[in-house]
This record gives sequence, C-alpha cells and structure tokens, in this order.
Amino acid sequence: MQSREEVAPILLFNDECGVCRFIASWVKTSALARSGVASIDVRPIGQNPEELRTLNQGLNIWDAYATIHLLMPDGSMKLGGEAVAGVLRRLPSTRWFSWAFGINVFGVRPFQAVLNLAYTILADVRPVFGCESCGEPSPWVRPIRWIVRWVASPFHWRHQQGPSRHFTSLPVKGRASEIPHR
Amino acid sequence: MSGNKTIDRIQTVTARTFDRSVLKGEGPIVVEFMSYGCAHCGVIEPDLQQAAKIVESAEKIFRVNIATDRELADIYEIHGTPTLIMFLNGKVVGRDEGPSPVLSNILALIREPYE
Repeated sequence: MQSREEVAPILLFNDECGVCRFIASWVKTSALARSGVASIDVRPIGQNPEELRTLNQGLNIWDAYATIHLLMPDGSMKLGGEAVAGVLRRLPSTRWFSWAFGINVFGVRPFQAVLNLAYTILADVRPVFGCESCGEPSPWVRPIRWIVRWVASPFHWRHQQGPSRHFTSLPVKGRASEIPHR
Repeated sequence: MSGNKTIDRIQTVTARTFDRSVLKGEGPIVVEFMSYGCAHCGVIEPDLQQAAKIVESAEKIFRVNIATDRELADIYEIHGTPTLIMFLNGKVVGRDEGPSPVLSNILALIREPYE
C-alpha cells in the first residue's frame, strides 16, 4: 500500500483524441518504475463532471478537455506546459533533464517557456493529425491542415465534412455507436 | 467554459429520464446532443448557458451526452455534435447541427421553431 507521501499525481488525458491517447500510453509505460509502482496515475477524463470533481473540487470537465491537467497529491493542479514539466519530472527516463525547467534567469524560466510554447503548438496541431473532437484549428494551423488533406486525398483518405465548421462529425459507420463507451 | 463558479442551467437527461423530461414535458423543450470531449460543444457551452438563462421562463434546455447515451443518439440520428433538437409536446419541430457559437444565433435558433 502506498503511503500518503507516495501517492502519484493524476494525469488526465482526452481519450477522444488519438494524439493524446498515444502520449498517454507512452507516459503510462514510462511511469512504471522498476519497482512496478507507477510514478504517475494516467486516467482518461471520461464523461462524468461529478466524478471528476471528486478528484479535485476545482476541476471543471470542459477545462479538463481544453488543457492538460496534472492533479497533484497536495490538492493543487498544474496545467498546460507546467503539467508537462510535472510529468517529465516524475518519469524515470526524463527526470534527468527536467531540472532545467526550474532554471530562473531574472524572473524568467527559459526552458519552461520553450516547453509552454511546445505544448501550445502540439495542442494546436492535433486537428491536423485527425483529432475531429479537438475542434476548429487555430488560424495558423488551417493552411497546414489543408495541405495535409490535399496530400492525403490521392491515398483515399477522405475527411468527413460536417454541415457546419462548428460541428464534430461522428464516424459514418454506426454513428453514435462508434463512440468508445466508458 | 461553464466554469465551476457558475450555475449549470442545462439539466442532463439520460435514456431513463428522456421520456419523462422531454417527450412528456410541457411546452417548448430544446435538447442539445453533445459530448464533453467535443471541443465545439465546449465553445458553444457559455452561450447556451446564457441562452438558457434568457429563455428559462418560456423554454427548457436539456443536454444528452451521446458518449454515454448512444441509444438516444441513434434514435434521433445524431451525425455529430453539437446538435440541437427542438421539441414541442413530444414532437420534433426543429433541428440544427453545429450552430455558430454566438448568443444571438443560438437564441434565434431555439426560438424560431416556436414562433
């Protein structure tokens, strides 16, 4: 049994996004130390706002889907690039360089700033990799998505066009039945 | 985002409560078929909450989470989210898929079928 000090932070991920699932799977594998005790508890956000609030009273399900959240054992929450740094600090394979994120030069943490930017870019480009649930891409990503679709079209990769750009189409076969059940 | 500081004015209905709340409900009823993992649903949420506040004396707004209530989504042939379906006395009188996340647009959409 884990003592209070050993409780692992909880990383919430969007299980309706392929990129997020891939990263979560890597974190889950990496978090298993040689002892077999996970240094991070990786969980899907799910669909129950009340259940999510039992993990942290201040946690809102819409916010959880909008930005990566790392729930710390002390009740605090790390978001975005800070959450990524929090994860990297706890993974056995990445903790050796994660000290760099704490370096402070005249009130600025340069490595953390780079990580924050990298997170923002990754979050923005998810729709390019086919994340339909991630919404309308940022304006700077739209030309990239257009090029990716144009390049992919000869390979019979067809985008399911919705009736509006504010619409997330469900897979054609089975429609709602195709959504993974939680 | 709706935020945990604000009141949730949109009640969630499930396959179990849909009949009682929507089909047997009185007056104009709007149902949003959504999923928490759908970013477009997150974008429309604040405007829908605001619309629910404005029309609360005349109309009721409910949500159906299609990730957990797939049966209802199949019955109403939901092709994606968010989809708004307007009911009056248990009958479908209007429908909109992917409404623009602007309050005036949402208000027009949910009022128009009942005018």
